[in-house]
Amino acid sequence: MTAGLLARLRAPLAARADLGEALALGWVALSPAELARRPIRLDGRAAALGDLFDLSGEPRGRIRFEGDLRLADRLAAGLGEGEVTVDGSVGDDVGSGMAGGTVVIRGDAGVRAGAAAPEARRGMTGGELVIHGNAGPAAGTRMRRGLIAIRGRAGAGAGATMIAGTVVIMGAAGPETGLWSKRGSIIALGRISIPATYRYACTYQPAYLRLVLTRLHTRHGLPIKPRHLSAFFRRYSGDLADLGRGEILEWTAK
Amino acid sequence: MNVRGVYIEDTFAEAFTMRVARIVITARNPKWAREAALKLTGFATSVIGCKCEAGIERVLRSGETPDGRPGLAILLMAMGKDDLPKRLIERIGQTVLTCPTTACYDGLPDAPDRVGVGSALRFFGDGFQSSKVIDGHRFWRVPVMEGEFLVQEKFGMVKGVGGGNFLILARSADAALEAAEAGAEAMSGLAGVILPFPGGVVRSGSKVGSRRIKSMIASTNDAYCPTLRAVTETALPEGVNSVLEIVVNGVDAPAIAGAMRAGIDAACRDGVVAITAGNYGGKLGPHHFHLRKIMSEGGGA
Repeated sequence: MTAGLLARLRAPLAARADLGEALALGWVALSPAELARRPIRLDGRAAALGDLFDLSGEPRGRIRFEGDLRLADRLAAGLGEGEVTVDGSVGDDVGSGMAGGTVVIRGDAGVRAGAAAPEARRGMTGGELVIHGNAGPAAGTRMRRGLIAIRGRAGAGAGATMIAGTVVIMGAAGPETGLWSKRGSIIALGRISIPATYRYACTYQPAYLRLVLTRLHTRHGLPIKPRHLSAFFRRYSGDLADLGRGEILEWTAK
Repeated sequence: MNVRGVYIEDTFAEAFTMRVARIVITARNPKWAREAALKLTGFATSVIGCKCEAGIERVLRSGETPDGRPGLAILLMAMGKDDLPKRLIERIGQTVLTCPTTACYDGLPDAPDRVGVGSALRFFGDGFQSSKVIDGHRFWRVPVMEGEFLVQEKFGMVKGVGGGNFLILARSADAALEAAEAGAEAMSGLAGVILPFPGGVVRSGSKVGSRRIKSMIASTNDAYCPTLRAVTETALPEGVNSVLEIVVNGVDAPAIAGAMRAGIDAACRDGVVAITAGNYGGKLGPHHFHLRKIMSEGGGA
């Protein structure tokens, strides 16, 4: 990325960092110096974003993080605007409760990506969270709106208790995916174990999936193939132990 | 002015401001996209009797449609901004929703004026409908017996122009038809315009009102009827035995002018005596398309 801000990690993280407040409020017009003053917590103690990162570039609505952020939690939590890219893996709770904007993780994400904060009723309520690697357990739990796309595997409970929104999993989906969901869509392009509380409805070609998958390919470079676009999907309705208005769409070669 | 020996009358076509929406229909294959488009644009020649005017604008390649399937772009036009949403809802609801494999999208995404279409049609889903927001646009998924109908929630509406026209005055009915077919062919598929009449051609041009029945909005244009030459104030030159009209609507005046230029040029051929246009003295419609100006800008002589 050539335009926007660059946040380069000064030194490898030795303790967990909570970046939840760094981008939660409006940030797209902030200069590097202003953004450097945003509060974070490092190993439980108050700090500033600039204590961990060298910030440079021009505010253009984009920020790119460089460095090993596997111990950095809650990045882009509550995000409402702009585009956040991480050139590698990230810690837990990335995009927690985000309401808008785009988060792109070039590596893996920890637990609860795009999910609800422990005290919150809702996870993501908007925006797009794209994980080019694997996602830890509980991605998208209690999400209300928005799109999560996981190029690799998803841990257990992806989309569990989701209220609405869309979770696309290109790799294998872990157990209990979609459990207790009210509404929303889980798109499984890889292996998935359908919860017992979902019921098979039909095998068909949902037109809207072509829009979703085409966007993931053109906008985010995910390897969507013609076989995905022209495919049939097995539709399971669920979770019938809850509202039952959600769906799991399982890709099938037939 | 003459174009290849055809006299271009020094007159203008008088056209009106209308509201226009562009509808994109896609389907599994071109056949079903066209089936839906033909039904949607059927009985939509003139607002006088059809409440709206519609036509196929052009065929879209798979790469040009939102879902990557074959499709068609349609322009649907109505006189008022309150009329257009009604026409969109009833026509898409009856002809696209019902047609196998189709989906229906807004073709004017940048238009700031938005009207609800999918937001109304979703109720056919009887509570089982659901929506998805993709790239900032909401789409409704309506369950149907075949599977699922996808329709965009809102469609763009812009001001367009309706009633661009020219008349082909020919020595014979065959010559008039041949010239009209050539003109319509040259205009079909041009971006931003439609020809709402059958094959793009009108044989029954009208005048405002009636000589005898006060309640009639329009009646036959007797000045251009060859059979009435001897009994009315005719506008026909000597030797003219048949007249056909091409009506063109579009998203803006330049699109119509360009289409008229292409159509008139193609229609100027053997057997055609003159090209003229319909107007109301310039008092009713704000858009005036002067034939000689249009043809001179296009290089006609």
